[in-house]
Amino acid sequence: MGFNDVTSTCSDSISRRNFLKTAMGTAGVAACAPMGFPCLAAAKKRPLKLGYLPITDATPLLVAYSLGYFSHEGLEVERPVMVRSWNILTESFLTGKFDLVHMLFPIPVWMRFKQNIPVKVLAWDHTNGSAVTVRANSGIDRFADLAGKQVGVPSWYSMHNLVMQLGLQAQGLEPVIRPPGSTLGSNEVNLFVLPPPDMPQALLGNKIDAFIVADPFNALAQEKFSAKVMRYSGDIWKNHPCCVIVTHEHLIQENQIIIQKAVNAIVRAQAWCLQNPKETAHLLSREGDGFLPVNESVLNRVFGAIPETELVHPQWHVERIGFQPFPFPSATRFILEQMKKTKVEGNTDFLMHLDTSAAVAQLVDDRFVRKALDDMGGFKGFCRCDMEDIFTREETIEIN
Amino acid sequence: MSPFFTRVWAGWRYELAGLVIFACVWAAVTQFIFTRPELYHFKGFLPGPTLGALTEAFQNSKFWMSVFASLRRILVGIVISASIGLPLGVLIGFFARVRKFTYSPIQFVRMISPLSWMPIALLLFSSFEGAVHFLIVMATICPIILNTAIGVININPQWIKMALNQGADNIQLIQTIVIPYSIPHMMTSIRLALGIAWIVLVPAEFLGVSSGLGYLINDARDTMEYDKLMAVIISIGILGFILDKGFQKVQHRFRRSWSDKV
Repeated sequence: MGFNDVTSTCSDSISRRNFLKTAMGTAGVAACAPMGFPCLAAAKKRPLKLGYLPITDATPLLVAYSLGYFSHEGLEVERPVMVRSWNILTESFLTGKFDLVHMLFPIPVWMRFKQNIPVKVLAWDHTNGSAVTVRANSGIDRFADLAGKQVGVPSWYSMHNLVMQLGLQAQGLEPVIRPPGSTLGSNEVNLFVLPPPDMPQALLGNKIDAFIVADPFNALAQEKFSAKVMRYSGDIWKNHPCCVIVTHEHLIQENQIIIQKAVNAIVRAQAWCLQNPKETAHLLSREGDGFLPVNESVLNRVFGAIPETELVHPQWHVERIGFQPFPFPSATRFILEQMKKTKVEGNTDFLMHLDTSAAVAQLVDDRFVRKALDDMGGFKGFCRCDMEDIFTREETIEIN
Repeated sequence: MSPFFTRVWAGWRYELAGLVIFACVWAAVTQFIFTRPELYHFKGFLPGPTLGALTEAFQNSKFWMSVFASLRRILVGIVISASIGLPLGVLIGFFARVRKFTYSPIQFVRMISPLSWMPIALLLFSSFEGAVHFLIVMATICPIILNTAIGVININPQWIKMALNQGADNIQLIQTIVIPYSIPHMMTSIRLALGIAWIVLVPAEFLGVSSGLGYLINDARDTMEYDKLMAVIISIGILGFILDKGFQKVQHRFRRSWSDKV
């Protein structure tokens, strides 16, 4: 079935109704009938649908839409739809409400290899973009200072949990998952999941001692109560991936041209964001197109340069949030290996049996982004990258 | 709870006094808590900033769009709930066998937090709007069914016996005795459901909708703007109050029509 087809796909509505009857019981069916319901949500609907969370990780999708890059490629795209949590984003994606979304890298790993859902990572959405934030007067300056503290992470399957535990393990600390307020050993750090919007309040109210999360929540805490960024994530792992662009495998099989066009638009948008940080901040903010419920002053912190005094590795020249589309396999491998060592709630046996190299090939489809970069004349738009051997790199990680 | 909602309350003086006292308590409590220096960032909860944000909101077209969007969701949800729940409630109240048969499923569904239906709502509906309606329906339908059924059960058995003596069949019984008698209970059930619908609305608007009062509350939390948060809370209070008042009027009218027939 074509992707941008306008024709209705509901011709088999009767059999769907029958399915619903058995699935829901009569009251539910009656409830749905008046709402123009007959299509199961999973039925394909054109035009292309994008979903996002109100965080700066969504930037390339939003900019590509707002600057008309998708339509320039000849794609019909609806205004991206905002939802408020990773769960809702994942569920909406799985039920076919979204064709393209940004997701924290461990989420598609979990979907592909634990849930056996055929998803594909098309490109990196952005690099860096997160930070560990503490209260200004807390005296926490390095990972070692987190011993015996309570730390909030946005989700177990997040880059944030992974980077946090990487830092803790490197300092010989042990991450544990216990109820908030439990007594901790001198080398233990208690992690728990907290919705990102609640993190600044929880920090301010002394419920937690630190949190690691995507912007704008770090910038918001800095702006609202002068919280201190202990470490920018890009300052721990140089230009690490965070969110990636994810789509359904069947969409790739059905129409490669559409996917190619979408990736072209996103890559173009990433290059634009790198060159126009101020404009990007304005466009996303309430004062601009209102994609994120945040004021421009907060976003200017995110897209502005990091003051050198706040960096441990100024020689790395990392942006607070950077943009670079190519999914370096070295980073994917590192993430998969690190996920095996990262504590999460729930069963992680699926990771133990995972052959890392085969998994990278199964998960990531970099054909489209290679083509898009080729068309743009290589990595020139993303000049911070190593120009010599462009499709490989070495991961630089340094924790202190 | 039920008799409280069945009665029609009059006496605007008491209502006004209650409101003023409520506002004073709010002012006193927040003044006491949120003026402490370490809670400086939460001073948006104070009446002053809240009223400022409220006046600002009233002049903002996005706010009115949100009011409209939320009201529409609530009304659509309640209408669907009522159109399923009221007839079901009558049947369940009238036929003892149906009552026994439906007891366990209804008790089962009733205890489930409507928000745990979220994944199912997303799966079943192609639009986010439909999913929000579904969540409201799931939250409000059980109170409507149960209250209506209670109304039917409470009918004076003498009336039924009298009608049966005169040869009435089930349909006639339902038409002339059961439905007219249980209308006040139906009204009560819908008044209860209205309150519950507002409760579900805020989390339901976590889904992909782009306006609504719940959406504005979520926005305010995302950006730590507590004056705006309080302004929306107060608007929801005012709207709920107006809706309930309106409903009381309707309830009043139906009550009179019933007593005329008696």
